[in-house]
Amino acid sequence: MNNFAIARPDSYEAASAMTRDRTYKLAVLKAGGVDLLDHLKGGLIDPDVLIDVRRVREAGAKDPVGISGGVIRVEAGATLAEIARSDELLRAAPVLGQAAGDAASPQVRNAATVAGNLLQRPRCWYYRNAQFPCLKKGGSTCFAVEGENRYHAIFGPGPCHIVHPSNMAPALLVGDAVVHLTGSGRKELPLSELYHMPDKGVMSENNLEAGEVVTHITCRPMPNSAFYAIKEKQSFDWPVAAAAVAVELNGATITSARVVAAAVAPVPWWLPNVEAALKGVDVANDEALRKACAIAAEGAKPMTDNGYKVKMLPVAVRRAVLRSAGRPTEVES
Amino acid sequence: MKADTAPAIPAGPFAIPTDMPTLNRPMNLGQSIDDNTSRLDGIAKITGAARYSSDMILPNSLYARFVRCPFGAANLESFDDTEALKVDGVIEIDIQPKECQYDGQPVGHVAATSPMAVDRAMRALNLKWKKLPVKTQITDTVKQEVPQGEVSGADVTFAAVYSTPVQTHSSLETHGGVVDHRGDKATVYASTQGTSSVRDGFGDALGLKQSDFEVVCEYVGGGFGSKLGGPGKELMLAAKLSQKFKRPAYVMCNRWEEHLDTGNRPSSMTSVKLGLKKDGSVVGGEIRTWGGTGVGRGGGGVAIPSGRYDFQGVDKKHNDVSFNGGGPRPFRAPGHPQAVFAEELMLDEAAALIGMDPLTIRRKLLKDDVYREMMEMGARLIGWNERKPTGSQKTAMRIGYGIGTGGWGSASPGGSAEVVIHQDGSVESRTGTQDIGTGQRTSMGICTASAIGIPLSLVTVQIGRSTLPPGPGSGGSVTSPTTAPTMMAAAEAAKKKLLEHVARQANEKAEDLSVKDGQVLRRGEKFLSWKDACSKLTAEGVTGSASTGEGGRGASQGVQFMKVVVDCETGIVHPRHVIAIQSCGRVICRKTAESQIIGGVIQGISYGMFENKILDRNTGAMVNPNLEWYKVLGPNDMPHIEPVLWWHGQTGVKALGEPPNIPTAGALACAVYNAVGSPVRHLPLTPDKVLAALEGAAS
Repeated sequence: MNNFAIARPDSYEAASAMTRDRTYKLAVLKAGGVDLLDHLKGGLIDPDVLIDVRRVREAGAKDPVGISGGVIRVEAGATLAEIARSDELLRAAPVLGQAAGDAASPQVRNAATVAGNLLQRPRCWYYRNAQFPCLKKGGSTCFAVEGENRYHAIFGPGPCHIVHPSNMAPALLVGDAVVHLTGSGRKELPLSELYHMPDKGVMSENNLEAGEVVTHITCRPMPNSAFYAIKEKQSFDWPVAAAAVAVELNGATITSARVVAAAVAPVPWWLPNVEAALKGVDVANDEALRKACAIAAEGAKPMTDNGYKVKMLPVAVRRAVLRSAGRPTEVES
Repeated sequence: MKADTAPAIPAGPFAIPTDMPTLNRPMNLGQSIDDNTSRLDGIAKITGAARYSSDMILPNSLYARFVRCPFGAANLESFDDTEALKVDGVIEIDIQPKECQYDGQPVGHVAATSPMAVDRAMRALNLKWKKLPVKTQITDTVKQEVPQGEVSGADVTFAAVYSTPVQTHSSLETHGGVVDHRGDKATVYASTQGTSSVRDGFGDALGLKQSDFEVVCEYVGGGFGSKLGGPGKELMLAAKLSQKFKRPAYVMCNRWEEHLDTGNRPSSMTSVKLGLKKDGSVVGGEIRTWGGTGVGRGGGGVAIPSGRYDFQGVDKKHNDVSFNGGGPRPFRAPGHPQAVFAEELMLDEAAALIGMDPLTIRRKLLKDDVYREMMEMGARLIGWNERKPTGSQKTAMRIGYGIGTGGWGSASPGGSAEVVIHQDGSVESRTGTQDIGTGQRTSMGICTASAIGIPLSLVTVQIGRSTLPPGPGSGGSVTSPTTAPTMMAAAEAAKKKLLEHVARQANEKAEDLSVKDGQVLRRGEKFLSWKDACSKLTAEGVTGSASTGEGGRGASQGVQFMKVVVDCETGIVHPRHVIAIQSCGRVICRKTAESQIIGGVIQGISYGMFENKILDRNTGAMVNPNLEWYKVLGPNDMPHIEPVLWWHGQTGVKALGEPPNIPTAGALACAVYNAVGSPVRHLPLTPDKVLAALEGAAS
């Protein structure tokens, strides 16, 4: 790690301008600093200035999260803890609080922000280890392919097999979230267009342009929504498979569903086939629900050591559906 | 497989309260000198006031780290330190190219005026490594094969292979320390389990007589065996640099290095063939074990058969197997947890073959009645009668019960202590042992206070300095068994001197005087307050000293019962309840003793469920040298743990450090087997293996 300066701009616009300041070799935005610190300690990046946006708020934004005019708005700097403890969100979109509250540890949730969570780099142990010159670091090999891939992706053509690490992305996606930006011509980007697969560029995971800064995120209310993560450890661990679900119900019958899986692919993974299969399913009908969810891992191409995720994913989806409909899963019953 | 039926549990020899409070229940079957004293240094530790060796950032210090091989096997063909030497603050770079045999093997070091400068220089070294082929596990050398053939004379023959991974100690405070060499004197701040052995281990490395340097280790952030013995390579480097440059030298591993090169519990593979009669007796078989010792030579022993069960005619063979990984170091009951995992699960599996309950076969095979009695009690406390036959549950969430046993024997090495009674009534207990987390300060204080007959608040405890009367190294669970009687004898000696002094001054007979509850009594009647009695001393007070020689080998027994819930859709194991019965002898402080047991169980569950040093199969580099992917259990994974201190009439202090870590992983594996219906024979019990076992059970 080299010495670096810390800049404290008072607006996102100023922060954006700083990222384009050619005086610096590498300017990096810092919000919670969680992923940034890992990168610095791992010797993966060597910035000469950190642009601290942790306390920046958009003009007029008061609370970290809020609902007005039927739209949920989450400030970029809202912490996962703030999202998890918002009673308003818990009613309007339980999936958000569940996803936030399930992540990491209380200490991390107090620091980590929603924008940082969306834009964090993958946790792949080859990427994080400076001594492996993997594709993401400009190398020519994905070491997971013939190496240790128990936590890697079961979907996607490669050539890199990371799993997308964010809990918030799938949770926001089922609410058709929009990412609001400053620093370029475009003012917003649907969250569904934020990420790209490794075959569209392996050195980054998102489609933000240089100088673009996330200011806030909006999504629709989804009172029947839930997040379910399967984790090896129940404290401070990354999911090995997870699902975010938002449904609309007529009585106990699902009239429409949004289903996004996490920790199984290089991007948050839409499951349109499950969404279609869930339509018309009575959530009280265990057999029908299982059948609809069983196809969640259709098309998966597990690697040598991660075939178990194929079995887990339908479980995560089904339990998220049950939760979204206010029903207990096996764990609670 | 026949359905095993749970036997009735007979009334045990002990009355067990039916309403068991969950915390601090009155379940202490033994005698404790003190019940509920919290650690004397607890506040200092949680507020950060306690200064560990890693906190010793001294003025003008230099910092050093080892340059390490980044692969399992590689040849350092060249390096160019031109740029590295230009880095501001770099003091010394010393690299010796050589062929390395494990990830993390040192080839030299970089010293600089700040950790950042060390880091920058490291990255500028331009090392050219040539990778070599690697072996990363036992099975790269030894084929995993289930033994074939029947055992002659047996009704059934059971055969299987079990394995356990490499476990790293993962001490929160890493290895190393600080050496402050001032020319004619030196102070060594060591993170160690042996303050005296660090002093002795320096030899001539400091260029000083032992009387001219002091080893200080007031607090240790965990060791679990890995910080036993001499100074270690980190402190030796610090000594060399500090002596050479005449300024303090700070050499502590970072988390990465800690996983790679500070020792581990070696992996193991155990292949068993067991011949049984239908009545559960064992009539023969063979047990072969392999210990994965990395580049280490020796230390991979697997303590199976444990000797607790009657295995007639079972042969045992062991081999250590090398591969490209760091070598082992002692780890909380070396060779035992890996053995108990295989032995207990093997017993349950073999019992199922003859339709016998796990409790019944243990009753049959246990050689020592103590274990049998512990087992009856544990069965009652965990609710063994609720246990369903293995494989009989069909629901998603299945409950399982398992049993593990543990035995331990170690000999006290002897040690010295002194107790000083001052003129103002304050008392100082001094011994050069260290506290690796067992509560030594607290128990030494309690020993002193109780032996004299004064409140604990009057006692100050000094430990962790080589200039104190030498205490034992903290290994083999002998610290308290050694220090407690020694400190008590020293306290008795100091009290005797005080009373003799008081008697002389007051024209009394010393044998008529005694101390109780902070009062000096004369023939049992109140005579003087403690303070008044001490005020009669001269300025130097009185000092009582004691030394104990090597003691006999003590035996310690333990039985644990585990209740788990297994989510059979996800394969996630949720430990719910543990009964941990441990023979304890005379307990000094019940709270710290129970805390030791709880800690042992926690580490055992973590070993059974998560811990795994994973080496990349192609490069031999560890892929999880952190606490993110080297998983250690957290609060949400902890069951309710009930320690039961089992007193068997002994008056001595018994081992409690290692023993409670022995049975846990075995009990856990048995509980999962009971719930799932098919065994997971390879630790850790991760969901992928549980799901695979479920498929096995279904087919």
